[in-house]
Amino acid sequence: MHMMAGKSIQRVLVANRGEIALRLIRTIKELGLEAVAVYEKPDKEALFIRSADDAIMIGDGPRKDYLNIDRIIWAARKSRADAIHPGYGFLAENPDFPSACAEAGITFIGPPSSVIHDLGNKIVARKIMEKAGIPITPGTGNIDPGEGGAQEAIAFGEKYGYPLMLKASSGGGGRGIRKVEDAKALLVQIPLARSEALHAFNDANIYIEKCIENPRHIEIQILADQHGKVIHLGSRDCSIQRRHQKLIEIAPADLPADVLALMCDTAVLAAREAGYISAGTVEFLVDADTNEFWFMEINTRLQVEHTVTEMLTGVDIVREQIMIAQGAHLDIPEVRFHLLGKAIQVRVNAEDPRNDFMPEGGKRVEVYQSPGGPGIRLDGSAYQGYNIPTEYDSLLVKMTVRGHNWEQTVQRLKRALNDFLIVGPKTTIPFYLAICDEPDFQRGKFTTSYLETHPQVFKYPENRREIAKLSQLIAEIHAKKINPYAY
Amino acid sequence: MVQQAISERITPRDLREGGAARVLARIRAGEGYYITNTERDLSQSDFKNRIMPHTQILVSKERNDAGYLSLEITGGASIHVDMLRKQINPLEKLEILSSLMPDTMFQTLCRGINLFGYRPYPENVIRLTVKSFAPYVHLWRVFDFLNYIPNMTAVFEEVQKAGCILEPSICFSTGPEHTDKFYVGKVGEILAVTGDDIILCIKNHGGLGSSKRIGDLVKSILDRYPDLIVHYHGHNTDGNDVGRIVEAVRNGAKIVDAADHAFTGFYGPPPILTVIDTLDEYGHRALGINRQAVVDTSNKLRPQREYYKDLESQFLGFDPTVQTHKLPGGATGSSFEQAVKGDFLHRMPSILQEELPRVQIELGNWWSVTPGSQILWTTAVNNVLNDKRYKDANDDLKNLMLGRYGELPFYKPSDDVYQAVFGPNWKEIVQREKGYQKIEDVDLDVEKKVLDHRLGRAATEGEFVLYLQHPNDAVNFFKFEEKYGKTWVLPPCVWFNKGGFTLGEKFEFSDAYGKHHIVEIGPKQTTKTGDAVVYLNINHHPEPILAELQQEGEGKKRKVALSAKEIAELAQSGDVRSPIKGTVSEIPVTAGEEVSAGQILIVLEAMKMLNNVISEINGVVAEVLISPGDAVDVGDPIMSVEKKV
Repeated sequence: MHMMAGKSIQRVLVANRGEIALRLIRTIKELGLEAVAVYEKPDKEALFIRSADDAIMIGDGPRKDYLNIDRIIWAARKSRADAIHPGYGFLAENPDFPSACAEAGITFIGPPSSVIHDLGNKIVARKIMEKAGIPITPGTGNIDPGEGGAQEAIAFGEKYGYPLMLKASSGGGGRGIRKVEDAKALLVQIPLARSEALHAFNDANIYIEKCIENPRHIEIQILADQHGKVIHLGSRDCSIQRRHQKLIEIAPADLPADVLALMCDTAVLAAREAGYISAGTVEFLVDADTNEFWFMEINTRLQVEHTVTEMLTGVDIVREQIMIAQGAHLDIPEVRFHLLGKAIQVRVNAEDPRNDFMPEGGKRVEVYQSPGGPGIRLDGSAYQGYNIPTEYDSLLVKMTVRGHNWEQTVQRLKRALNDFLIVGPKTTIPFYLAICDEPDFQRGKFTTSYLETHPQVFKYPENRREIAKLSQLIAEIHAKKINPYAY
Repeated sequence: MVQQAISERITPRDLREGGAARVLARIRAGEGYYITNTERDLSQSDFKNRIMPHTQILVSKERNDAGYLSLEITGGASIHVDMLRKQINPLEKLEILSSLMPDTMFQTLCRGINLFGYRPYPENVIRLTVKSFAPYVHLWRVFDFLNYIPNMTAVFEEVQKAGCILEPSICFSTGPEHTDKFYVGKVGEILAVTGDDIILCIKNHGGLGSSKRIGDLVKSILDRYPDLIVHYHGHNTDGNDVGRIVEAVRNGAKIVDAADHAFTGFYGPPPILTVIDTLDEYGHRALGINRQAVVDTSNKLRPQREYYKDLESQFLGFDPTVQTHKLPGGATGSSFEQAVKGDFLHRMPSILQEELPRVQIELGNWWSVTPGSQILWTTAVNNVLNDKRYKDANDDLKNLMLGRYGELPFYKPSDDVYQAVFGPNWKEIVQREKGYQKIEDVDLDVEKKVLDHRLGRAATEGEFVLYLQHPNDAVNFFKFEEKYGKTWVLPPCVWFNKGGFTLGEKFEFSDAYGKHHIVEIGPKQTTKTGDAVVYLNINHHPEPILAELQQEGEGKKRKVALSAKEIAELAQSGDVRSPIKGTVSEIPVTAGEEVSAGQILIVLEAMKMLNNVISEINGVVAEVLISPGDAVDVGDPIMSVEKKV
């Protein structure tokens, strides 16, 4: 990457928390820059603060100050940061944030405000894509709140058939989506979806899309510099989801080469049409039988699952974002776009999958031992003694494994999951292990309905380790100064 | 020489391929005698049955190489103690050891109708139990404490059906009734039931009689039945069992019992090497024996003994007075243990040397072996500790006197004893209730469902069989195993630890699934609730483990010691307290049930005997405060009965 005469960044404020804050700090350090962390009070013991060169407490939180643009800008000024990386979530897709940064003379590491604004509105985004000739699922514009809207909705349903999806125009990340099975439900759901959208996204607008049944969720990672160059870094399959929240991400997607090539070209075209800059993700729905695909949305942020792409390409996407923000030209060799092997990411959460993935907030990680060896990448926030926060998410660590083909990568995933030793909270590890042993997964056959059609993966054994049982007795003998079971 | 030793040796394979009759023919034809290593009896007599699987596994190779005819490794009280105090599944123990000792036949000691427990079992339970143990046990020594043959026939049949070697026993004792003629007659009774393909055991559980007495007995039996294989089993309580063994072999016994010298004590079998070397002088050769392997076993065992020192008898030293009190070696250690726990150790001389012999003669001079030894012992202890002899006789003694356990061999107790035990109406009671008690078969399907319910899962067949022996202790063990895992992998220095470990103390062991572990003791802290957090460095990783401690004092109600008189007074008001320290065996009544004075409310088990707690009043059971399996102490509230107005 050639540096242009752009603004040179010295000190980057990381406007996020948890594993992604740590992940960003790592690249910032690799570039020889300084990293500033910000944190809400409940996060005062967090690991990412230990890695930063400076850390600023921005408020009592929780999930309030990380969303407060003024507080973040204040912290940047206070710490003399000249750039801000928003990570994912929180302010990452708030179009006001890049504007506020610009006003303060701080470089925002991400897309321009206008791009976030346009692509953040699903109706606008669909219109851009439609104009460029990119396939989109049949859908409406914003539904009118009155009787006219209801009629339009019914008419749409009659034309394209049920089920339909009701979506919040400003939604994203799988939130604000409702599936309706018939006209009657449609009329009931419209006002509910509208009030939910207003509450969640501060925008009551909703629209209707035809529902593609049991699709695959495939996305393309793109990078675009300030000089009009747009490239892709290949595909990811994020089909295995729970209520539209991704659980397992795989790169590349298992699709015929010509289909993938067409999707990648389409993604590049879409980004170009949107005037995209920085890293982004173009999401598609793919018919599992015909491989027909439709544009879904562009995520204008670094994604949780960017790690699988990094593992396969060797490209540090965060590094590219920082370079792009400084005005550099993209010059990643094209050989990097041809992904070799397979990578899988799982999110190891402190949750009880059997109890509807109930977070184990408040519990303490008594023992934390993580795997290593070939092909393992860990992005985490947990450590021995870590208290699972009740205020934030329950992610302990993201593990990404890479292998040379699907079979070997699944075996490696299983090995690495077994090498984890986490005592204290329940985790999603036994659940992932059950998936590793499930034949359809082993064959690489899964769609977004995987969990509904494979309920057996929830029937994993919950065995305590034998040594934990034996140690319990040794500890009791020690504490009681006698073995009551022997005398 | 080595070659010969190998061909003389008899292995499980010989039994499997040639059958019991051919194995017996080889023993009969052998020019010398065979040795049984009675590990189980050593453990029971001198170490309160606590020699741990870890130790047995440690010397499994040496013992397997030693060339014993058999290793007595199960049976007697061991099945109960395996679950109760060693926390190992007795069947799993056999499975593990047999895989490590493939060339050695395993032997059990079976109490006939009383099988591996203390009182008669239903016949279908007996048959199922023998079937479950038969795959691991090649040689079955079977006895009855009254030498009453019908009490053993179900076991005989199942053992022979399973293709195992059957070894019926005549229990031996001394006194005017215990003549050669009597015992030869008993052998005849056995052979009439079993046929000729058996080994006959002379079971000298007390180590009674002189060398000459045993030699004469063997000779008398063999004079009458020359082809019979005699297996002499004795105890070294008086220090002279080697003498008895020598005379037994010189008079034709083909198999004798002894044990590894590194662990020999005072009440169990004598050392193997002493037997071999002594008999060698007389020109009798131990067949199949690899002498070096016998030595190696003890060399390896020796450093382990220190971990067992708390399990050795409170009294060390031989006890020639056994010829008077006749307590079997297997019950000596536990008797002293009870004397210590019951705080009557100082009365042991009078119990052992005066009261016990007296009770024995009064009750019929039959054999002091389980369950008879417990009846004699408990009765003698009660006679000494209570103000009146034969007061509050337990059900076992009553059943025995009613003939329910079988015919008494020589004579009945006197009328005075019957009156003391059954009260003034004794004649009527005896007339009404006397006779052999046939135990009804249990409904195995129902029992299995009860067990599944108590475990909250389907029990395995092995677990079910163990449950049928000792229901409450088996369930407690299964729950222990679920919580603590397979703890038999732990070395005895961990299992028998007293006083806690030292900081930095390290244990290496592999678990039951083969994984190797290192556990290092770290610091210990006390929590606000008074429990302890122990830091263990498990496989190089520190792990805090919460150990809940029962808080005495503030937290729990302080125990008040009640006298027998106070307990009796409370019972009159319906406040039922435990009169003894024991375990709740059975609760025949439920809350809300009407009860009348004299009705059994609760059955408590102590010293292996059942004791009834009787309602003193007519009323309604208001509350049941305990459950089967609970341990109770003297004075603990166990039930309340509301008086009927």
